[in-house]
Amino acid sequence: MEKRFYFVFGDLLSNLVAGGLVGLICAAVFSSSWNMIIAMVVGMALGMLIALIVTVALFLMLFGAMEIMIPNMLTGMVVGMIISMAASMHEVPLLTGLQDGAMVGFIVFIIIYCLQSRMSGKVNLTETGSGE
Amino acid sequence: MDTATRDKWDKTSKRYDLMVSKGAEKRWEPSKRDLYSHMKGKILFLALGTGLDIALFPVGLDITCIDISPKMLEQAQPRVAAYDGTMVAHCMDVHDMEFDDNSFDQIYTACTFCSVPDPINGLKSLARVLKPGGVMRMFEHTGSTLFPFNLMMNIMTPLSSISGPEMNRKTVDNVRAAGFKVTEVDNVFLDVVKTITANLPK
Ligand SMILES: C[S@@+](CC[C@H](N)C(=O)[O-])C[C@H]1O[C@@H](n2cnc3c(N)ncnc32)[C@H](O)[C@@H]1O
Repeated sequence: MEKRFYFVFGDLLSNLVAGGLVGLICAAVFSSSWNMIIAMVVGMALGMLIALIVTVALFLMLFGAMEIMIPNMLTGMVVGMIISMAASMHEVPLLTGLQDGAMVGFIVFIIIYCLQSRMSGKVNLTETGSGE
Repeated sequence: MDTATRDKWDKTSKRYDLMVSKGAEKRWEPSKRDLYSHMKGKILFLALGTGLDIALFPVGLDITCIDISPKMLEQAQPRVAAYDGTMVAHCMDVHDMEFDDNSFDQIYTACTFCSVPDPINGLKSLARVLKPGGVMRMFEHTGSTLFPFNLMMNIMTPLSSISGPEMNRKTVDNVRAAGFKVTEVDNVFLDVVKTITANLPK
């Protein structure tokens, strides 16, 4: 599992920024004129796209490849889904979108580190599936 | 020679170091260094790229490197020249290598089978030039078995493959399909970034 401060900091920062930005944009784009399901699906796709752009533009060169891209896209997907759904039911202030997005980014960061601590290291070869 | 792949990597060659040398390569350095610490005998290093990994190789070895992209190899030249051992670099497609059968004791490669267009045949070519009982060690990123990462990587692959790798390759399965026996898989990041050790049965 990654323990070097520079990379742990990069992972946290990139998730906070991706989550905050996706939350802010989704709070600005979606309103109660949207059907909730459509808002959720569009929000999810938009969130992933924004997260991908932010990751490539700001963080990839500095902090890693898959280690940055995968968590950030997950953050973007979840934040996009939640904030757009909320915004289709009631107005979501921009600051709330930003804060909630960053919070989800933090939670994703923690989840990825927990998963990583369970998965890193030698794989039991009798259990490897076909996805790899 | 697969000119589409060659041209794609030729285009990427100028910015490759900038893209990966600070982030990904630094991050992966401990795992790669550990992988390369097993190098011995006559070695084939597939897909040298700009030669960033040369600094991680133990000194004093006999290493033959290949890459499909002449522009990547051009960038690698100073690093090849600086290696403290015997190193030659050839412009060659893994599918079409000019080496005799059973030429190498070991094969190493990093971040290659995400971009080789026909991975199983590429791996079969490696099996041809590796001596029976020889070992192949790889550092690769692959698809994931975990949802939603597998979904995200399937979505990203059409984008990422325009100028670089595919994100959803089943490289461990491909290694087996090419006739190798996979002896060790070590996850570096989730089940996405990993090292793979495989033997060619005698
Ligand atoms: C992602 S780069 C990795 C470079 C280097 N191994 C590293 O880790 O920095 C992929 C490399 O694979 C090479 N490559 C792709 N297809 C190839 C093929 N069919 N034969 C030989 N090299 C190939 C590309 O030219 C490129 O340099």
